[in-house]
Amino acid sequence: MTPPLELSAAAHSYLLAFADDEHMMGSRHANWIGLGPFLEEDLAFCSIAQDELGHALALYEMLVPANEIDRFALLRAPADYRSCALAELECATWDLALVRHWIYDLAEGLRWEALVQSSVEGLAELAVQAEREESFHRSHAQMYMERVVQDEEGRRRVDAALAEIAPHIGTVFAPPEFENDALEEGVASESFADLALRWFNMFEPQAAEFGLTLPALSLESSLDVRCTRTPGFADFHASLGEVISLDVQANW
Amino acid sequence: MRTYEVFLKKAGKEEFRHAGSLQAPDAEMARLLARDAYSRRGEGSEMWLVDRIHIIEGDKQLLAATADVSHRANDGSAVAARRKRLRNDA
Repeated sequence: MTPPLELSAAAHSYLLAFADDEHMMGSRHANWIGLGPFLEEDLAFCSIAQDELGHALALYEMLVPANEIDRFALLRAPADYRSCALAELECATWDLALVRHWIYDLAEGLRWEALVQSSVEGLAELAVQAEREESFHRSHAQMYMERVVQDEEGRRRVDAALAEIAPHIGTVFAPPEFENDALEEGVASESFADLALRWFNMFEPQAAEFGLTLPALSLESSLDVRCTRTPGFADFHASLGEVISLDVQANW
Repeated sequence: MRTYEVFLKKAGKEEFRHAGSLQAPDAEMARLLARDAYSRRGEGSEMWLVDRIHIIEGDKQLLAATADVSHRANDGSAVAARRKRLRNDA
């Protein structure tokens, strides 16, 4: 059993927010297994889901002992999760899932970049490796988007999905508790407020290139956002814990 | 959607081998999607993608054996049988 790292409270909450976001994104993406628009896309999207779950696992390993990860990841009380609404959201249509993938992965890459010189042991290496995977995710989202917006109906549907997701976009930039301390300790090199600005500077020209209508966005977010669960979380959480709850003590 | 034939080559002296086929809207997407479909675990270090429309199909009429010409097929079994007989006779 590998003991988790000795982390400061600030580092702990910083990593927890990221780990929970990745866990929720990976699990929500995985809901599309077998339902993707065509086989090759199904494989690519589920591979992205697995990458996100892999990132979540790598981060959880820094937070809790190896034999407690499953229970920690799946059976915490909903109030103890620190994921953002953008990651928790159920995207019940492919339009929404695609747009969220584009938006979230644009932000995720920036989050890893802010960790490539982290003072937390092993985190810099993880960030470099994860960012390599993210560059594939971004290419995937961008190429896919470029193609679906080429006809009128595609662009209209992406526009509608973007408008529906827009109110939640800012939540991914909600800072974790003790963000200032985390920045001082060198856990991360950039504040979430700065990441949000950089994200917007990447998002806006891409949205323009796709011919999309820019929705009203509020990118300022507070910690409360990470302490509140979205409607629908309870069902999702219950479904994630369904198997482990059959026998919580089992050694998988 | 177009269909692409995927060929993979491992590092070293191995030749390219047909891995399977892939559907994608165009060549750029095919390159992106082929990785997850055929080389997620490093199955190949090089990949060729060939749009199926560029494949020249051989003529089935010419390929079919026209008559029994088994006398021209030498798989060595006749020689092996003869040598075995000679060995046993000796």
